[in-house]
Amino acid sequence: MTAAGHNGSALGGARTDGPIGSRFDERFLRKLESLALTIRRTTAGRSHGMRRSRRVGAGLEFADHRDYVPGDDLRYLDWNLYGRLERRALRLYEEDEDLSIDVLVDASASMGMGQPPKLDLALQICAALAYVGLSNLDRVAVTALGAEIAGPPPARGKARILPILRFLDAVRPRQSTSRTSLAAAVREFLSRRRGRRRGLVTLISDFYDPAGARAALELVRRNRLEAIAVQLSAPDELSPQLRGDLQLCDVETGEVRDLTVSPGALADYARRHATLLRELRGHCREHAIPCFTLSSDQPFDAVVLRMFRTGGLLG
Amino acid sequence: MELGGLAQVIDAGSGALSTTAAAVFGVAGAASITALYLLRLRRRRVVVAFAPLWLGAAGAERATRRTRRLRHWLSLALALTLFAAILIGAVDPERGAPTQGAIDRGGRSLVLLIDRSASMSATDEMGSRLGAARRRADEIIGGLAGTDRALVASFAADASAESGFESDPLRLRRAVAGVSPGDEPGDLQRALAFAAAILRGRPRPTVVLVSDGGFTDDARRLAPTDPDGRVLDVRYAPVGRRADNVGILSLAARRIPADPGAVETALVVQSFRPTASTTAVEISSAGTVVEKVNLTLAPGERRRLTLPNLFAPDARVEARLTGADDLAVDDHAQATIPPLPRRRILRVGGPDLYLDGALLGLGRTVHVDRLPAAEADRALARARDYDLVVFDGVTPSAPPSAGRYLYFDPQGAGNPFAAAGAARPARPVRDPVIDPASLRREHPLLQELDLADVNVAEAHRLVLGPDDVALAGSFGLPLIVTRERPALRIAALAFDPRRSDLPMRPAFPLLIANALAWATRQTDDAAAGAPLVDAGGTARDARESDTTPVPALTLGGHLLPPADPPARHFRARLGIWALMLAAALLLFDWLSYHRRWTT
Repeated sequence: MTAAGHNGSALGGARTDGPIGSRFDERFLRKLESLALTIRRTTAGRSHGMRRSRRVGAGLEFADHRDYVPGDDLRYLDWNLYGRLERRALRLYEEDEDLSIDVLVDASASMGMGQPPKLDLALQICAALAYVGLSNLDRVAVTALGAEIAGPPPARGKARILPILRFLDAVRPRQSTSRTSLAAAVREFLSRRRGRRRGLVTLISDFYDPAGARAALELVRRNRLEAIAVQLSAPDELSPQLRGDLQLCDVETGEVRDLTVSPGALADYARRHATLLRELRGHCREHAIPCFTLSSDQPFDAVVLRMFRTGGLLG
Repeated sequence: MELGGLAQVIDAGSGALSTTAAAVFGVAGAASITALYLLRLRRRRVVVAFAPLWLGAAGAERATRRTRRLRHWLSLALALTLFAAILIGAVDPERGAPTQGAIDRGGRSLVLLIDRSASMSATDEMGSRLGAARRRADEIIGGLAGTDRALVASFAADASAESGFESDPLRLRRAVAGVSPGDEPGDLQRALAFAAAILRGRPRPTVVLVSDGGFTDDARRLAPTDPDGRVLDVRYAPVGRRADNVGILSLAARRIPADPGAVETALVVQSFRPTASTTAVEISSAGTVVEKVNLTLAPGERRRLTLPNLFAPDARVEARLTGADDLAVDDHAQATIPPLPRRRILRVGGPDLYLDGALLGLGRTVHVDRLPAAEADRALARARDYDLVVFDGVTPSAPPSAGRYLYFDPQGAGNPFAAAGAARPARPVRDPVIDPASLRREHPLLQELDLADVNVAEAHRLVLGPDDVALAGSFGLPLIVTRERPALRIAALAFDPRRSDLPMRPAFPLLIANALAWATRQTDDAAAGAPLVDAGGTARDARESDTTPVPALTLGGHLLPPADPPARHFRARLGIWALMLAAALLLFDWLSYHRRWTT
């Protein structure tokens, strides 16, 4: 049975008017639905669709006081406090609102490397996060950094998953001769997002740009958005099987360098790769950014479940 | 290349490449390898996600590249060396030398003559003397020059070739390893004649004798010559370190006719030790030790032992020396006991149950014919057909001149012990008493007999001639006499046994058996030979038991020079070494490739 011929069955209320694509087949959609159910049971008891934001407003739960300034709504003045201390202060309440979730997928050429390609897992994770967010009535937007096509507008409700899936299915690694700057791509994303409320930004990338990675995460944090970093590596990148005299060609820059891959060179590579990951994790830990380092041969549902269980994502 | 040209390129005799062809192949191959190696230098392009992870500092990279270039050249040198080794192996310069069976006028023709006689089983050398001889032969083979040809032969009582003329050390060593020890004495002259015949017509003939040198003086008296009468070049490679051996040289056994259940054994033991030593000999039959004799032998002493009256339940006796020495093969001997010969007895006289009973007791091997007393003269005519003729109270008309006889109370003119010229018969002597002092107990006729108190009613006087012996008597009256002359042997009782109590005694059948054994003894000894050796016994050559080392051997009055010391020159074929080098390089190339040392 195909996704096209089974309207709405695989994704609850979502209707699939046609084939979504090779990446997101019927099996994937069923796993997605199963994953959403599992996460819903995991987060049972919480008010879905109304995550408490940091915004102070017309909520029910007391948050803090602040001094009264002319023009403030007198309804929020704490008269009891004024009676005891003769201090004019406003009572602040936490405002309940739906969460704005942005999932950014690095679509640079390096994400197309690996067997299986890192981009495939990145897009699957993106789809899963988006579906779970939509199921929670959060406002979800997906963006492919460096891709030549723009993502769909932010949406709410899981019936909107299909446009997102079609978009993700169309995403291809960028073919270029210059390295994609992750920071520049995030900066561009943030400029397009300007005006939207604060929320959660999940950045999925290989982060093979140490300076750019830190800058991108810093940009997200400075814009008062919560960031989550998902770093992907291909198995071939974690333990390369290369030997002998080679011409190394960088997939993004096209630069060609001669190298003899000896056991010593392999050890150097492993050391550099570990350093890159260690620095990324250190930066995230320093700024309380959840960080996941994954291999592209891991199943996406297990990855997403782990993110929800251990990473506090959406929790 | 045309077939004819190819035939010229490849030597038909050896199958090796000619030098010109090798040069052509070498140049072409080297060029091809170099070209292929340059192609091999092209690097494989690999696309990676993030090249900076792979590339370290630029300086280190340059150093790596320089090292890599050097390794490439080393790898090329390795490949060219490998090719050269294979080419040399194919050309095989030493193959220009004569191949199997061809005669090389420049090299020696050697016969390695390895002694495999019984003494080479001595264990004074590590393993045995033959093992030491094999090792010595291997050393000699290792010292052969490339143009030498050698043949391995071994000898004991006869000589045999173990290989053809070879230059291949491996084949020669295999032939040496195939020499097995024997238990025969070594016949040096036959072996040298064999070697000389093989070497006839070959250049620089040389015989290398690998032996312990235990040969007879006769064998060493003659100078070795080839069939054309020229003195042969014989070298001597001695083996053996000490003389520590006691050996059984011979063993023989036979049954005693007088006592078929007993066995007489003769044994010769000799010590070849330089000091006096004690050893023990065990005689056994059917697995049971029936006699044990302790011997103390002086250096070189040869001791002959005769062991009579041994009980042997089996038809075979074995002798074994106890105590360790260097040569085990002569510590054991065995002999088959021949059955008693069939005997024929002619009994002449009237009925005599006592005599018939005694004759019956001689067993199935004795056949008894009978003649009445009236045909006593006829018995004389048939005496040659019998081992013993018994005249039981009967005397033929004339004394016999040949044959073997036993007379009971002979009387009358035919009495061989009658007094010459007596006109009438002598009167009998009544109740003679046997004088114990007159008994000749050592005589075979009286062995194991007790006649001291035999009662005799009457006896007639026997007159002894010069060849006669009285074995028992009664104070001057001979009672038992014997006469031994060529072809004639007579024993006589001066009385009729029936007029005595002798037939009632155990001595009577023993007397009859002893008389038969005595009568036939000379014949048995002649048949068995002296010393006592029969066809089923053991007889060894004392030279093979004498393990005294002979460090220098003289043949025909000339001291044999030692074998050439092992040559120090490079012996093995260059081609084989080249191929081995090629194989080693292949292995190294494989290792270096998989270890990423050279690629």
